[in-house]
Amino acid sequence: MNYPIWELPASGLLIAVVAVVHVFVAHFAVGGGLFLVLTERKARREGDAALLAFVRTHSRFFALLTLVFGAITGVGIWFTIGLVHPSATSALINTFVWAWAIEWTFFFVEIAAAMVYFYGWDRLTPATHMTVGWIYFWAAWLSLAVINGVLSFMLTPGLWLTTGGFWDGVLNPGYLPSVVARTCGAVGLAGVYALLTASRSGDPVLREKVARYAVLRWIAPMAVLLPASVVWSLHAASAAGVPVREIFGSATGGWLSIVTGIVGGSATGQPIAQLAARVLLAACAGGLVLCGIVLARGRAYGPWLASTVMLSAFLALGAAEWVREDLRKPFVIGNYMFVNSVRLADLRTIDSDGVLKTALWTRLPGDLDARPAETAMPEKGREVFRLECSTCHTIDGHLAIRPLVQGVAPGALDAMLGRLAAPAADQVWEDTQLRLRTWRGRRMPPFAGTRDERRALAVYLAGLGGAPPEAAARYGAEGDVGERFFNENCSMCHGADGDFTFDAKGRSADTLYEMIGRLPRINDAMPPLEASGAERRALAEHLATLHGTARKGGSE
Amino acid sequence: MTPVIPALDPLPLPAPLWLLWALLMLTFTLHVLAMNLVLGGSVVAAVSVWKARRGDPNHKELSRLVGKSMPVAISATVTLGVAALLFLQALYGRVFFTSSALMAWWWFAVVPLVIVAYYSAYAVAFHTRGSSALPYAIAAIFLAIAFVYTNNMTLMVRPEAFREMYATSGRGLTLHLADRMLLPRFLHMVAGAIAIGGLGVVALALLRRAGTADFRMWASRYGSRWFAHATIVNVAVGVWLLGSLPVDTLLQLIGRNAVASAVLAAGILSAGATVAAILAAARSGRPGRMFAVGIGAGLATLALMILTRDFMRRTLLAAAGFEPARWIAPQWGPIAIFGVLLIVAVLLTAWMVATLVRAPAPGSVGSEVLEP
Repeated sequence: MNYPIWELPASGLLIAVVAVVHVFVAHFAVGGGLFLVLTERKARREGDAALLAFVRTHSRFFALLTLVFGAITGVGIWFTIGLVHPSATSALINTFVWAWAIEWTFFFVEIAAAMVYFYGWDRLTPATHMTVGWIYFWAAWLSLAVINGVLSFMLTPGLWLTTGGFWDGVLNPGYLPSVVARTCGAVGLAGVYALLTASRSGDPVLREKVARYAVLRWIAPMAVLLPASVVWSLHAASAAGVPVREIFGSATGGWLSIVTGIVGGSATGQPIAQLAARVLLAACAGGLVLCGIVLARGRAYGPWLASTVMLSAFLALGAAEWVREDLRKPFVIGNYMFVNSVRLADLRTIDSDGVLKTALWTRLPGDLDARPAETAMPEKGREVFRLECSTCHTIDGHLAIRPLVQGVAPGALDAMLGRLAAPAADQVWEDTQLRLRTWRGRRMPPFAGTRDERRALAVYLAGLGGAPPEAAARYGAEGDVGERFFNENCSMCHGADGDFTFDAKGRSADTLYEMIGRLPRINDAMPPLEASGAERRALAEHLATLHGTARKGGSE
Repeated sequence: MTPVIPALDPLPLPAPLWLLWALLMLTFTLHVLAMNLVLGGSVVAAVSVWKARRGDPNHKELSRLVGKSMPVAISATVTLGVAALLFLQALYGRVFFTSSALMAWWWFAVVPLVIVAYYSAYAVAFHTRGSSALPYAIAAIFLAIAFVYTNNMTLMVRPEAFREMYATSGRGLTLHLADRMLLPRFLHMVAGAIAIGGLGVVALALLRRAGTADFRMWASRYGSRWFAHATIVNVAVGVWLLGSLPVDTLLQLIGRNAVASAVLAAGILSAGATVAAILAAARSGRPGRMFAVGIGAGLATLALMILTRDFMRRTLLAAAGFEPARWIAPQWGPIAIFGVLLIVAVLLTAWMVATLVRAPAPGSVGSEVLEP
């Protein structure tokens, strides 16, 4: 709200793409350094000239990939998060500028050591060359260890929320399992890249030797340890208050329960996070099978098979990052800032003053105040959508909103917007141990703004979904009688958060009109309806929209 | 239009302003030095590649030498730039994030452009082919990146332009081309980079044990000419840049603010001294010491001009209502760790580079060193 929104459809996806690509190279930059120096030592100890020549060739590929692509895509993440999440970036800079400065000293040494190692093959003594290799590896790993502090902080900020302390932020509850998981990924990737380089060698003996070495010492152990450490991370996140159980539909936050939830599936979890976790497990298992094939084929394996192993590694690492990102929703910084840059601490102000007033960078037509309500309302709604929803949702593309609101009445949308994320029953937004209640498991930020702005957004969304302009305008001007009646009289039991959430199950407004005339006969716990004819009709029409409010013709 | 500046971040700044400012100046000066070698060097190399078409051996050798040094220079530019970007965001994030978002696609495009130019530089370093068009492409890409950077750095000190630009479009496709400062600032920076690139050629000729003594003499004089011509042009461009400033900022620089005026005057004198020393060295039979004086004066000029640039930024932003952070809660522990690690990093890097430089070259210093 404090910065202009870059109107890039689904801008969050851009971060995901840049980050996943960078992560795949950056982890290799860490593990690959260890691989180079250990394999160089092995080759020198064994007097294996062919292996030493391989390490040298591999170091060239390593340098070209990590120094250029790895380093620049890393800067690319900086650029991208600054463009897409400037408020979050600003918060991170104010908290962790010294973490990044410390990381930069490691980065500095890492780049210099990589170049000296690369250019020093013929010029340095073996001992000095390997010393430079070790300097490279430790600088690279320490760089990972520092950045991991910031990344894990964003999911589990822990004590920082109360103390604001640097070390509380860096050494957050998710730090240790996360740094282990990243190290496992880095070591495993080193083997995968080596396998790919070796697969192109014309020397079959070397190819087999590197394959056995890479698979047995580097890839296979990490294909087991990576998913295990990810599950450890999930366990730690659960203990730190991230709703891991709800997301994976597991019975408890324990290790076994999380794995069972992921593998066995659950009707209550988050499909995308579950899918990503399953892809992680499947890619690691598939990678192990492929490694077995590589070993079985011995000298006969080639670039295609090695590329398939690499693809499985890419899927595993990408999925692990996706799980982390998905767990964080609806926050960009856990319990501090939502993905749409609204800080939890600002919610009350925005609710009272309005998002259109508090946002610094609105793009409303200049003559809006002079326009009649029926045209002004959707315009306001469009702007509210842009400010609060467009970071994740597009109209018709990624996470498209139109199919979700197709044919839904403005009143139903308005009610739905009021039921997005909320603090747990016994909590308030300011609670540092905040637990979120979500509407049907949809982990979206709460609507932030005045009642009028929410109505305007509902009118805009209903218009997107094909609602007649006059109906939307009438709702915008007067509100929906049926919906209001429902909210005031029925929603405590039958609302989205009630014990008996109402589902019209396809019944028509006429049928519902008849039914609500005999409520005590349907269930003697219900009082008889006390409403005028017009109110009863309006309520029936509203109830009819509550079957699958998210989707036209939704499931029964 | 009324300037629009985002509100201060509700979190405290974790360091005193002076410390962040000093680190910004230090890392940015080093970054600009490396960047000038890359940008100016790529222009000089492209011209040499053009001239070498007719078989001029000196130009051929020079383009080869510059081409081989380019990946290291790019790497230094990026590495030092990361630190400068960090401290810039800490001090000026509010206007920097805003200007970046307004020209988002252009800003984002820097990333793929650098990747392409960087890989092209490695391709040139590994395979010095006379007919390759890559050196031209590299120079063109770096000039394009420089133009994008000048746009963003100029736009971030113009909060009065923010609102109108965003009202026109939020898609991040627009540049603030109407800014009077933009073109002279870009040309001033490019001419400065070419001048420093010329000095880089001189340093390369003096430091590298490559080529014949005749070539080294030729290259140092050739680099000197680039430096002198670019600097003379830059005096005129500098006057144009001063003229494009808002009157109040200009007046501060030419007398109203004694310190800023002294720094600018010292910078101009230093530039003159650099030209005199370099030209004298180029005419001398034993130019080494004079060149060293010239290179030293050139570096001093760079630092003084960066201080002037910083003064311009602070003055323009203050006029637009920008106020630095007031809530400051220094994280002294992490700051101390950073200080120690910075010293360790510099020492370790110096040791590694010195070890490499002192090591006996395998046969001749040629492509085999660069192609393990």
